[in-house]
Amino acid sequence: MKLTAELPVDESSGAVKARRLGLGFWLPMSWMILIVGVALLAPVLPLKDPTDYFIRPGERPPYPPSADHWFGTDQDARDMFSRIISGARVSLAVGFMSVTMSFIVGGALGMVAGLVRGWFDRLASFLFLVLLSFPGLVLVILFIALIGRSVLTISVTLAIAGIAPVGRLARAATLSFAEREFVIAARTLGARNSRILFRELLPNVIIPMGALVLLGVAAAIVAEGGLAFLGLSIEKGETWGKLIRNGAGSRVLRDSPWVAFGPITVMFLTLASLNYIGDYLRDFFNVRETGLGR
Amino acid sequence: MRFWGLRVGMLIALLLAVSMLTFGAMNLLGDPLFNILGPVAGDTENPENIAKIQAAKEQFYLDRPLPERYVRWLGDFVTGDFGVRFSASGQPPVSEIIKERLPRTLALSGMAMTFTLAIGIPWGVWSGSRSETARDRLSTGVAFFFIAMPNFALAVVLYYVVGIRLGWLPLRFDAGAPFWQRMHQLVLPALTLALGGAAVYQRLLRTDMITTLQEDFILMARAKGLSRRHILFRHALRPSLFSVVTLFGINAGAVFSGALIVELIFGIPGVGSLFVESIFREDFPVVLALVMILTAAFVVMNFVIDILYSVIDPRVRQ
Amino acid sequence: MTGRQAPLLSVRDLKVVFPTPIGMVHAVDGVSFDLEAGQSMGIVGESGSGKTVTAKTLMNLLPSYALVDGSVNFDGRDLRSLAAKRKAEKHLWGVEISMVFQDPMTSLNPVKKVGEQIAESVRYHLGQTRTAARRRAGDLLEQVGIPEPGRRLDEYPHQLSGGLRQRVVIAAALACEPRLLIADEPTTSLDVTVQKHILDLLDDLRAERGMSMILITHDLGVVKGRTDEVMVMYAGRTMEEAPTEEIFSQQRHPYTEALIETIPNINSASHTRLVPIPGQPPVTTSSPTGCPFADRCRYATDLCVAQCPPLTPLADDHQVACHTPVGTPAAETALAANAARGHTATGLEIHQSGVPVGAVVDGPGERV
Repeated sequence: MKLTAELPVDESSGAVKARRLGLGFWLPMSWMILIVGVALLAPVLPLKDPTDYFIRPGERPPYPPSADHWFGTDQDARDMFSRIISGARVSLAVGFMSVTMSFIVGGALGMVAGLVRGWFDRLASFLFLVLLSFPGLVLVILFIALIGRSVLTISVTLAIAGIAPVGRLARAATLSFAEREFVIAARTLGARNSRILFRELLPNVIIPMGALVLLGVAAAIVAEGGLAFLGLSIEKGETWGKLIRNGAGSRVLRDSPWVAFGPITVMFLTLASLNYIGDYLRDFFNVRETGLGR
Repeated sequence: MRFWGLRVGMLIALLLAVSMLTFGAMNLLGDPLFNILGPVAGDTENPENIAKIQAAKEQFYLDRPLPERYVRWLGDFVTGDFGVRFSASGQPPVSEIIKERLPRTLALSGMAMTFTLAIGIPWGVWSGSRSETARDRLSTGVAFFFIAMPNFALAVVLYYVVGIRLGWLPLRFDAGAPFWQRMHQLVLPALTLALGGAAVYQRLLRTDMITTLQEDFILMARAKGLSRRHILFRHALRPSLFSVVTLFGINAGAVFSGALIVELIFGIPGVGSLFVESIFREDFPVVLALVMILTAAFVVMNFVIDILYSVIDPRVRQ
Repeated sequence: MTGRQAPLLSVRDLKVVFPTPIGMVHAVDGVSFDLEAGQSMGIVGESGSGKTVTAKTLMNLLPSYALVDGSVNFDGRDLRSLAAKRKAEKHLWGVEISMVFQDPMTSLNPVKKVGEQIAESVRYHLGQTRTAARRRAGDLLEQVGIPEPGRRLDEYPHQLSGGLRQRVVIAAALACEPRLLIADEPTTSLDVTVQKHILDLLDDLRAERGMSMILITHDLGVVKGRTDEVMVMYAGRTMEEAPTEEIFSQQRHPYTEALIETIPNINSASHTRLVPIPGQPPVTTSSPTGCPFADRCRYATDLCVAQCPPLTPLADDHQVACHTPVGTPAAETALAANAARGHTATGLEIHQSGVPVGAVVDGPGERV
């Protein structure tokens, strides 16, 4: 019989693996540092202007990757490398901003709900449920269509969409901690709720939530990318989604695939890194989804 | 009985809340007339437009206070009257348009979900029973790839690799020919939607299987001399059914949402592409109706899944 | 039982080794025995003695990294070669040889109905239809003494008590009329009152079906009066093998003697201290040069340390692996010498009375 899964799980080496941050961690981390660094420093780096046209006389764009244009150019002879970087600025900015907002608001709502219980909890939970009832990007698209498209509005809308999953998580984490002795002890000493919230619960809840921040950023970047691909992201400027859309026409794709695959590769590497590190942190801190209805 | 009453009540409350949120958004964010008619609303000189504006005001009860508007709209909606489409000439009824397009989206989604289960479950079970081998590590890497890749990017990649380079699957969707002849045209778009979900199943089931296969009752099943496949699928998979069903619900949401993009890329005239087109045409009666339909379908599906939980795990029933 | 027929089960020089991070563990180190049709044998030993690994070898349940040597013959068939084939005998294990495990709560699938778990083997191995299998499952439940079998078929394991659950496990094991049943500590996780019922049930079933049985336990009291033969294992080896009565009335191996001394006797004076065996069973990471029990044996001599005693027949059915079998002149000399010195050849301290230190008996410790 060859069911190899009966090999006993080696407890000790499992723990050792988690403690040491190996190559598996540092590789994606280096990419993130690279991409975020380049995105932040873009204005001062010697890059070509992403809106400039680099037409070569006699040749019709798009031009394939070369020493001059590392990622080639698009149909209007604009340099893909600098466009991808300028797209990174917006995509990453939207990602981090929306996650920050949803974690603050959602986290606060969830924690208060978990601590105070009662009608507030019921209301907040119902609100989360309603927000989660809209599949995927449907609600986001509706809002964007109604209130207009800028970096700010898109970030805010994505943040609103993120409140529900974050809030439920914060609530669940708070609930599990609120039952514990150190909270009861604080109460018997007469501590008010706000004090308990900040001094006892917050430091504990932040750990599991922090592990999930990166996964949230990845999700936000994907969401913005989806919007951009549909043509619903910011009107001026570039994002990864818009760049991919630009390269996805069937003629362009067939004849000059680099126009789409350049941004796809960079976006994928970023998402893969975020996911990998996020997973890693989640395992490290042993965060479990407690809101799945079991 | 109380068990059911509570659940159904919650379902209705949820649907109402969703409708209120959607309707509220439409009417409170910006000028409702503008939202419904688009730029036409501003152009009051063209006599045709004036007629449209008047029709819109009547249809959407714009001269009445908000709460009354909501109730009337809800009444109309529930009876299947979604109003008329103002952006096209001749004002075709929205319900007709939706009825025509819906089956294609349903076919696409159904195919995608089927692929997800048909690929993801065996893959996960197989990986779980062969963990720590080289093939398994490769599997895990592949799964990770599909999870990290956003569906629109995957669509482009698949379109290029399978459609253009390999030429295995057709790229255009031909709305003319009878449906069963055209099913294979949906394979590529359905796969695009399915692969991400399948990868998530693989990861989840793999972990579950590794744990479950160490249980004593698996040893007992082996002692009974049952074949490996029998044990994997009839014994080891059972405790994971819970997660499988949960994932199904989450995956359905992703498929509904992903259909918007995929339909657009592959040129499938379904409800998803209608949604996106209507957004650009600022055809808000359609948008409103579609948001409600998609969301209501999702809510009902989650409700059904909730019921499934109690069927699957006998311990929950008590 | 009926003379010169070939035995149903024949194990010769079985060795099972597990490669581990701390070295090669010799879980079973040269075990041989025969079992006739209809006969029952008890395998007795502490944890780590290799009794469960032996059972798992017979049932083809060893992990893939286990290294096995020796021969195992069931009804003339070589079990080891059958197990090694990819498409192994599909209808041998679970049909002709069956096993009952220790903990019925964990050996039953918690989310499957009890009836289904019994009917499963019948449907898989014998190809019966669902209704026929269900009927059979109901019959089996009745045979194992479960009241209201019809109702029980549709219940889940967590709805039954421990004793009933173990009966279900037994019913499942018997579903295809096995010729050999292996029961590994079948009563260890049950209440004491229930233990006797289960053991009685196994006895009855065995008699009814003419089934062979191997009863594995760490408790000698379990096999008394129930099995035909007993094999005592220690550190992966057979220490003694004899008909059950002789094990109790005339045990020959010091380990067996010590095991019997540990059985509390209800007739002893009150406050009689329990008699443990000093020391721990060894983790056999290497084949011992001397006798594996020497460290804990009151009779240990230099010969015992130097040479591992082979399993030798002392009488017709009685084999012992010992240089100083209990009751022989060799043993008495050795014990006297050790008592005089105050310790054995391995350094185990001995009282003048001959009892090892750490195994003090205050009141009369009667031999059973």
